[in-house]
Amino acid sequence: MNLMTLQRYKNELILLFAVLFALFAFIYKLSANAYVKENRTEITQKISEINTILTLKKQWGGKGLGSSVAKLKTVISPSKIKSFNKKSKKLIASYSGLTGNELSKLTNALINIPVQITQLNIQQRSKNQYTMEFTCKW
Amino acid sequence: MDKSNNKLFIHRDMKPVTLEHSVEIILTPQFYTFIREDLDIRFAYQAKQIAASLFDDYLNASSEHQYHVNKCQNQWCFFAYNIEEIDKFLESVGIEKHRVSKIYFAQELENSLTHPIQLSEKNILQTIDGTVTLIPRQLMDSNLEFMPLDIEAVKLNSGITMGASLNSFISLKETILLSSLFLILGTIFIIEGSRIKSSVSNDEAIALQLTQKHSKYSDSGFRTNLLKKYQPIKKHELSKRQSIKDIAKLLSANSQLINLTIDKNAIKAAIKASNNNVAQQVNRNAKAKKLKSSMTGLNVKVEKKI
Repeated sequence: MNLMTLQRYKNELILLFAVLFALFAFIYKLSANAYVKENRTEITQKISEINTILTLKKQWGGKGLGSSVAKLKTVISPSKIKSFNKKSKKLIASYSGLTGNELSKLTNALINIPVQITQLNIQQRSKNQYTMEFTCKW
Repeated sequence: MDKSNNKLFIHRDMKPVTLEHSVEIILTPQFYTFIREDLDIRFAYQAKQIAASLFDDYLNASSEHQYHVNKCQNQWCFFAYNIEEIDKFLESVGIEKHRVSKIYFAQELENSLTHPIQLSEKNILQTIDGTVTLIPRQLMDSNLEFMPLDIEAVKLNSGITMGASLNSFISLKETILLSSLFLILGTIFIIEGSRIKSSVSNDEAIALQLTQKHSKYSDSGFRTNLLKKYQPIKKHELSKRQSIKDIAKLLSANSQLINLTIDKNAIKAAIKASNNNVAQQVNRNAKAKKLKSSMTGLNVKVEKKI
């Protein structure tokens, strides 16, 4: 293709470049759209997952839970604590002679600590006299 | 041809030439038709639009012509030429198309040709009444003296290119209009694309920051395992706590807790009411709280699967 031919089709060439520019720009827009569509869900999910894990770990596996659980020993008079075994991240406790109010107080204290209550057994021994045994871990 | 000559007169009697470099050619009136008009027109493109109609009576309609317009003093100079005819002639005298850098019309030499110059043995070139004209030598005085003309020294302004003189399928006006539209459209697409891409960049930065701070969570498999571990804990433990609260609401001075157990699968409780009405009330309330409830005499058993 010599210079003369180029000059002859100058207008067509200018138009062709403009069309190609618009076409490539359109492809760029489409690819940007596809990129965002593909990545937005993934990125949002990633952020949400990490934040959820951080919250869950902090709530259900936090480092301060050991000391929170120890407070269950002080809620009730020591004379009513049959056993209180705290080992590693597990607590097995047993209480007896609890009044209705003490039972309520102890139960509320337990459910307000974010530990896994694996076992709970409350029994009425006589009127307004209860025993309570539970196992929890964190 | 002398290498230093960059301009060349083109006329029918010229001898074949051998070119080693590009030349600018000056067409003699043998290759164009010239009209000078005093028109109330401001722009050259407007003049070019009416050029064809001006030459209607002068040109053979069977052959295609191209037109060139330029302003000469206060008038418009119109040139009609047939580029194919010129092209064929140039080929016949050994001038290749790509050697022609510019085409001028001899009319531009109007002021330089007040005295005749000899083009060939048969023809001379001279300005007569403001128009450069090719005159047969035999019509002139035999003692006529010719003035030398150094065409290299003459400055020519209104030239055209070989390619540009050939007709494009699309006019310049249409080209400018359509190209501008496509360029604007393309620019809009690019701006929109960049805006779309940047919309996710903020989230990308947050994700990057989180994964940099907690690098062990960058692996999606690890995250899934952790979620599988902690999400059921949250669900079950909240369910247990809510059930304990619901059962506690069923208790009163007339309804006492007999026992309450939580194991791996369920939370169960037994409540003893002081009379049948209270037992029925407890039973109804338990069902309202979506607890599985059954009543045997004054005893009400409630249960909820974990």
